[in-house]
Amino acid sequence: MELKKTLIIVLILSITGLTAWEMYWRSQGYYPTLNDEKALWAKERTKVEKATKQDIIFIGSSRTYFDIQKKDWEKETGIKPIQLASTGSSPLPALNDIVENTAFNGTIILGVTPGLFFSTTYPGAFPWQRIQSKVDFYKDMTYAQKSNYFLSIPLQKSLVLMSGDEEEWADDIDLKSFMRNIQIGNRAKSEIPPPFYNFGDVSFDRNIAMTQRTVSDTAFASSIIKVWNFFGRNAPPPDKESTTKYFLKDANKFLARGGNLIMVRFPSSGGIRFGENKFLSREEFWDDLLTQIDLKSYHFEDYEQLKHLTCPEESHLRKEDAEYFTTELAKIMIKDNAFSNQKIN
Amino acid sequence: MLFNSLSFIVFLVIVLGLYYSKIFSWTSKKRLLLLASYIFYGMWNPPLVILLWISTMVDWTAGKRLAVEVNQKKRKLWLLLSMCVNLSFLAFFKYGDFFLENFTVLVNSVGIDFQARPMDIILPMGISFYTFQTMSYTIDMYKGKIERARTFLDFALYVTFFPQLVAGPIVRAKDLITQFYEPKKATVNQFVWGLFLLTIGLFQKVVMADTLLSGTADSVFGSDKLLHGVDAWIGTLAFSGQIFFDFAGYSTCAIGIALMLGIILPDNFRYPYASLGFSDLWKRWHITLSSWLRDYLYIPLGGNRHGITRLYVALMLTMLLGGLWHGAAWTFIVWGGLHGTYLILERLQRQYLPFKITKWNGMFLALTTYTCVNITWIFFRAPNFDKAWNMFKSMFYMQTDGEKILGSFDIVKVSVIISILFLCHWVMRNTSVKEVSLKTSTWVLGIVWTIMFMLIVIAQGSGEQFIYFQF
Repeated sequence: MELKKTLIIVLILSITGLTAWEMYWRSQGYYPTLNDEKALWAKERTKVEKATKQDIIFIGSSRTYFDIQKKDWEKETGIKPIQLASTGSSPLPALNDIVENTAFNGTIILGVTPGLFFSTTYPGAFPWQRIQSKVDFYKDMTYAQKSNYFLSIPLQKSLVLMSGDEEEWADDIDLKSFMRNIQIGNRAKSEIPPPFYNFGDVSFDRNIAMTQRTVSDTAFASSIIKVWNFFGRNAPPPDKESTTKYFLKDANKFLARGGNLIMVRFPSSGGIRFGENKFLSREEFWDDLLTQIDLKSYHFEDYEQLKHLTCPEESHLRKEDAEYFTTELAKIMIKDNAFSNQKIN
Repeated sequence: MLFNSLSFIVFLVIVLGLYYSKIFSWTSKKRLLLLASYIFYGMWNPPLVILLWISTMVDWTAGKRLAVEVNQKKRKLWLLLSMCVNLSFLAFFKYGDFFLENFTVLVNSVGIDFQARPMDIILPMGISFYTFQTMSYTIDMYKGKIERARTFLDFALYVTFFPQLVAGPIVRAKDLITQFYEPKKATVNQFVWGLFLLTIGLFQKVVMADTLLSGTADSVFGSDKLLHGVDAWIGTLAFSGQIFFDFAGYSTCAIGIALMLGIILPDNFRYPYASLGFSDLWKRWHITLSSWLRDYLYIPLGGNRHGITRLYVALMLTMLLGGLWHGAAWTFIVWGGLHGTYLILERLQRQYLPFKITKWNGMFLALTTYTCVNITWIFFRAPNFDKAWNMFKSMFYMQTDGEKILGSFDIVKVSVIISILFLCHWVMRNTSVKEVSLKTSTWVLGIVWTIMFMLIVIAQGSGEQFIYFQF
C-alpha cells in the first residue's frame, strides 16, 4: 500500500465525482440557492438589538415572508425592514421574544394567517416549536455556529450540492432527503404526507420570493396545494382562547412601552381561502381579536387594489404580485399614518 | 468547535499550516497548539475556558509539590486538593441539578415541604473527560508512577490538547506529556494515514450516525406511545449503531488529527459489538475510560485482592459510578448497574459453568452479548424510566397492542446496517484497519476512501453535536 499514491487517487476521483454530481443536478434544473435556516433568521434577529424607534419588524408566517418584498418596502417607506417571519409558524413566540428580550419600541407588523395565529400555545406543537427553535438558536448561538454559517454562505451561493435545507424539502439533494423519500408500503397505516417541494428562493438579507416554476408549472403548484390540504385536514382545531390571551398579554406590554403594533391579513385564494372562510371566519377570529385591542389593522379584502390578487398555490403571492402588494400596502399604511416613524408619515 | 463543521476544517488547515511552517521553534509550536486548543474550546463558550485554566493551574501546582514533598501527610493533602477541585467542578456543573432534585424528593418524602428552583447550570463541554485526564496526572504523581511534567507548557497542553479535549480518548500523562518533550513531525505516511482516519471518523459520524441511524432512534425514543415490539427493537438497534458510530467516529477523528501533528493517541474502540462477554466488551468499548476506572477506582476499591464478595462490590460500584459519569440521571446509574450485574454473572459463569469458546459458539456468544448490551442501551437513551419500561415491555412482547410508527424502509435500513456492523466487528475483532489496509491494493483503498468522502459531502450534515460531548 502506497499512501501517497492512494491520496492522489482519492483527490482525482473525488474532484471528478463531485464535479459530475454538481453538473448532473444543474442539468436537472437545479441552481445554487441559500438555505432558509435558523442561522439566517438569527442573523436578521441580531438587527433588532440595534433597532430604533424608526425601524420596522415583520413577524408572522410564510405569507408575511413571501408577500413582503424588502426592496419595494424600502423604496416606498425609506426604511429597510427586518424580516423575522417564519414559514409554518405561529407569530406569537417571535412577538414574545421581541417584547421580553429586547427594548425595541418601533413598529412591528404582524401578519395573521388564521390557521397558524390561532393554532396553539403548546410549546411542543409544530407551529410553535418551529419559530421557538429559531428564537432559542439565536439566544444560544455559539461563535463556532456563527463562523460555520458565514463560511457556508459562499458554498451555498455557488454549489447546488449544498442544498440540504433544514426545512427538509422533498427535492433537497442531500443523503438524508434521498433516504426520506424512499417509502415501502404504509406499515404505520397513517396518512403519508404528499411531497413538499421548495417553492421559494431566499436571499442573504432574508427576502424570499416564489420560484418561477411555481408560477409557470401548474402541476408543481398543485403539489404544494396538496400539502396545504394535508395540513388542513390533519390540523387540530384552533385554540382561539389561549392564543388570543397570549397575544394580548404581549401586545399590551409592547404598546405600553411605546411600541407600534400593526396587524395585516395577507391574501389567500382558491380552496385555501374557502377553507379559511369556513373554519376560521373573519368575523369570528380576525374581527373578534381586533375588538379586544386597539390596533391599526389591514385586511386585504378591504382594499380594492389588494382583494383581487391570486396566489398560484393558493397561499402566497408570486414575486411580481408580492412587489405590487408590498408597494400598495405601504402606500395605504402611510396614508393612514400607521407608523410611529414621523419620517415615513 | 465540532470536527464535522466548516469552521473546524478552516481551523485545522491554519493550525497545520503554522505547525509545519519553519518559522517556529518546537516550544513556539507547542504554544501555538495550546492557543489553538483554547480557541477550539472557547468557540463554544469562551468563559468556560477559565475552568480549564483553574484545573490546569491546580493540578500543575499539586504535581509540582508532589514531586518534591516527602511528608506523606502533606502529599495526601496535595492529592486531596486536586481531587476536590476537579470533583467539585464535576459535582457543581454536572450533578448540581441532579443532587438538588434528589434532595428535594428525599426531604419531601419525610414530610418536609421544600421546593427548589432548578439551577439550570450550563454543562461545560467535555468536563468529565478533561477532569478525569488531569486527575490521573496527580494520582500517578502521588503514587510515584510518573515524573512531573518538565514545563508548565507541556502540562497545559496535556490537559487541553484539542483533538481529544472534549470527548477523549482519555490519555494518561506518561503517554502524552512525554511526546511533547521532543519535536514532533508526522511523516508523509503518518499524515496521510491521519487524514484517512479523519475521513473514517467523519464518515461514521456524519453518514452513519447522523444521516442513517439517528432519525429512527429519535423517532422511537421520542415517541410517547406504547410501541410495537419491532419498532422498539429497531429503535434500540438504531441507537446502538448511532452511539457506536458517533463516539467511535469522534475518537477516530481525534486519533487521525493528532497523527497529522505527529502525536500518537491510544485506541478507544476495538470492534466492541463482537465482544465475547462483558469483560471483553469493556476491553473494546471506550477503552481509555474503562482502563481509567479500572486503575483509579476498581483496583483502589480492592479489585480481586480481597475475596469474592469484595470483588463483586468493587465491580458493581465501579460500574455504577461509571454509569453516573455518563450522565446525571438514575437511568444512567441503572445502565451502569446492569453492566455491573452482567460482569458479576459472567464471573459466576466462568466459575461454575466454564466452557471453551470455539469458532462455533463464538458468534452465538457475541450475538448474546450484543443483545444484552442493547437492553442496557434502553436505559442509556430513554429520557425517563417510564419510557424505558415501555420500551422493555414492547421489546419482550409483554405488550402486544403496541403502535407501529416506523415505515418498512426504516426497518429494512436499520436491519441491514446493524447486520453489516455486527459482521464487520466479527470479521475485524482480531485485526485492525491498519492491518487490513496493508493487505488492500492502493486502488481499492483509494476507491473506498473516495466513496466515504463523497458520501460525507452528499450527506452534508447539519453539524449535529457528538453525543458524548454532554458527558
